[in-house]
Amino acid sequence: MNCEVCQLKELSVIMGAGILHTIVFHRALGLVRPKDIDLELFEITYVQCGDVELENKIDEKIEQFINWVEKHPNKKSQVCLSFYEVKNKQPSWFTNKIERLYWEQWYVNLNVAQHPKAHSSKSHHSKVVDPGEEERSARTAALEASLREVLFQIIKFVNEKKDHVPPIPNLEGVVSFPYEITIPSSSDSAFGMDMIKRMLQTGHPTMLS
Amino acid sequence: MAPSHGSSHSEAAKMEQIVTEFFTKSLHIILESRSPYVSSRNFGGEQIMTSPSSSSSSSSSVRPRDKWFNLALRECPAALENHDLWRQSNLEPMVVDVVLVQRPLDWDPVSFSPKRDLVRNLSLDEGYPYCWNSDLDEFRCEPKREKIIERWVVQFESKKVKDNHSSGSRRPSSSTLHALYKKSILLLRSLYATVRLLPAYKIFRDLNSSGQIRPFGLAHRISSLVEPFSRQEEAEMQRFGFTPVETSSVRLCLSVLYRSSVMDISSESSTPISPQVIPDYVGSPLAEPLKRFPSLPVAGSGTHGSPSSLPFSGRHSWSYDYYRASPPVSFSPSPPHSESHASISNPSSRRLPPSSLPPHPPETLLAHKKNTSFDEYFPSPTFSPSPSPSPPIYIPGSHLSKGLLRSDSAPVNIPVGKLANSPALCNKQCLPPSPPIKNTRSSTFRTDNCVPSIQTSATVEQLFSLGKDETRKHFGRKISSNSSPSRSSSRSFHDDFDDSEFDCAFDVDDEDLTDLGSRPESFDQKGHLGEPLDPGGVFPTRKSQDAAVGALVHMLRKAPPLRTEFSTSVNLPHASEPEMKKNSLQERNPAVQHADSVSITSSGVVMLKTTADALEELQGYREMKNLLINQGRKS
Repeated sequence: MNCEVCQLKELSVIMGAGILHTIVFHRALGLVRPKDIDLELFEITYVQCGDVELENKIDEKIEQFINWVEKHPNKKSQVCLSFYEVKNKQPSWFTNKIERLYWEQWYVNLNVAQHPKAHSSKSHHSKVVDPGEEERSARTAALEASLREVLFQIIKFVNEKKDHVPPIPNLEGVVSFPYEITIPSSSDSAFGMDMIKRMLQTGHPTMLS
Repeated sequence: MAPSHGSSHSEAAKMEQIVTEFFTKSLHIILESRSPYVSSRNFGGEQIMTSPSSSSSSSSSVRPRDKWFNLALRECPAALENHDLWRQSNLEPMVVDVVLVQRPLDWDPVSFSPKRDLVRNLSLDEGYPYCWNSDLDEFRCEPKREKIIERWVVQFESKKVKDNHSSGSRRPSSSTLHALYKKSILLLRSLYATVRLLPAYKIFRDLNSSGQIRPFGLAHRISSLVEPFSRQEEAEMQRFGFTPVETSSVRLCLSVLYRSSVMDISSESSTPISPQVIPDYVGSPLAEPLKRFPSLPVAGSGTHGSPSSLPFSGRHSWSYDYYRASPPVSFSPSPPHSESHASISNPSSRRLPPSSLPPHPPETLLAHKKNTSFDEYFPSPTFSPSPSPSPPIYIPGSHLSKGLLRSDSAPVNIPVGKLANSPALCNKQCLPPSPPIKNTRSSTFRTDNCVPSIQTSATVEQLFSLGKDETRKHFGRKISSNSSPSRSSSRSFHDDFDDSEFDCAFDVDDEDLTDLGSRPESFDQKGHLGEPLDPGGVFPTRKSQDAAVGALVHMLRKAPPLRTEFSTSVNLPHASEPEMKKNSLQERNPAVQHADSVSITSSGVVMLKTTADALEELQGYREMKNLLINQGRKS
């Protein structure tokens, strides 16, 4: 099994949740009742799985991410969404009995440079023509375009790469595959996380075959 | 292979089912986000969806259909209504056109239902999958402009090629099935997301989110035919192709052509519809035919010097709307009508292969006319435009017995009656092989058109004189007019079907309709007809004219080739025709019949008579006719 990696184009952090939901929706192969989310700011609708647990988790991660970014301004950072399978491994004295076989990773590059929060929160006070209006609408349009682009990027990736998706497990629940969302943390850098994951991945092919 | 045969068979059945469900599901996904009737949708994502499917996550609420591809969708009546229709064959592609309809402000949303369109379309499945139902709507509401903003194509292919080598792999194994199913799920997931990212979704949102009535709406059409876009249209479309789901034996393809400028259109639409956008599409049925016409062999009626050709040539100017607007019953033989006819017909003519054209079209016309003559006898109500399909009448004689001659069931009698009224007589045996009338409307239109040509004997003669080819052409045009009612359909047809038979069938129907309308008029004009209508009147005339009738019958018998052809080929179709039509036809006179016979013979492959012969006969009939008429007047 190989691990497919998708690096998404950078976009505003306000879209982070939407992106993550969209990705998970494509990988939630359990019985899904899709839930459409119309963005307030953009004329874009994305899809959620309608799984409360997932929603909470994503919200929580995005929040953590924003906090992290605020502490580390000017750092490009990404959220990584990984899907894996769990394999029981031969117990040995220095590894866990359970091993994660990552089969797909998504790197969502998010920035907070544009301070979109101001917009998203209550941008509809508009009506009053203020000087920044034009600029703001232009920025909104740009954000929308970038979001749309990334969403299509996801769709295209999902379309092209299907073979590596493991068989659908007979699990109850919407999100059929275990997943994890990692953000840079103060303790270990994104880089470090990445390295660890890669090490794990590289080990797998031989073990499986 | 033998041992595994049973299981593999069931695997194949499963695969078939997956494919079928895939079609259904994708249709559902598309329509769910394009058919504005779903009002329960939650916007903003804050509310829980109210639709039944989404209301609860409990397993109890899971409908069987939801389990397919693990995707529970909202109810979508439009999709549910139609999905069964697509189960005929998985090998046919499914084409879903999403149409932006711009409508007048006074539009009544209730009257406009996409479903209706679909149903119509589907009902036409037999021959005319692509018929656009807009007839009724167009009747009531005026200009409605449509533009295809999305075209989804779902296709299934089974790979039969490499079977020889890997016969084992050819049959779907269970692992193949799993892979197919899994990939289908993935594809449908991305379809679901994509549908919401395309520009048309914004329109859908607008329609759903606001209570107000918008000057535009969304409709959809489903067919198995890909109706080609014009170049310009194509240039405005972008394509998104989903990666096909592929296994060793099958392939599921899904793609969409979409208009990226939809937003502009919808925003424009708030103001009066911009004519520029729509014309391409709306006019397409008419416009396209015209464009292509030049290439058609039959195209230029105008080239012919015969007088009869002239009216036809003028028809191009006719507007579709006019056509429809005209009251169904109006019989006025005004030139414009005839012209309109021609314009419509043109497209059809091009479809017909040259060889096929001659026999069928002319035949139909003449036949119809003949029928009309029968109709004459019937009370006026019969003529009413309402196209209630009259039971097919196989035997002319029977017709007569019903409507006209109660006492005389024999076919001979019938002719007599006809003769009395109109000289054309010979018809009885040659009942027109008109196909069943499908479109009421069209019939009315047609009538008008036909009238001019038919009314005067002179015109008839002219037609005759034109020669078979010309007549054919005319017919062909008329035929095309028939098809015109369905805009989209006409297009697709032209492109997809070269089969002349197809066209002919349509044409015939239309022709019949026209005939109906024409009949009444012809009667009026001629004047003698008024009396003939009354059954009682017929008989008297007959008495006095016995001798003449006998002579006439004799003459008729002498012209075997014509009759035979008619009786056989014509009669059957005839049955389907409404009786009403018959009346008007007879008036046209023998000439018409002759023409029919000629055309028929030609169709029969054996051309027994030449034009000259036909003319001669015509003359003879005319003489007879005049004689009879005179006698009738005297009596």
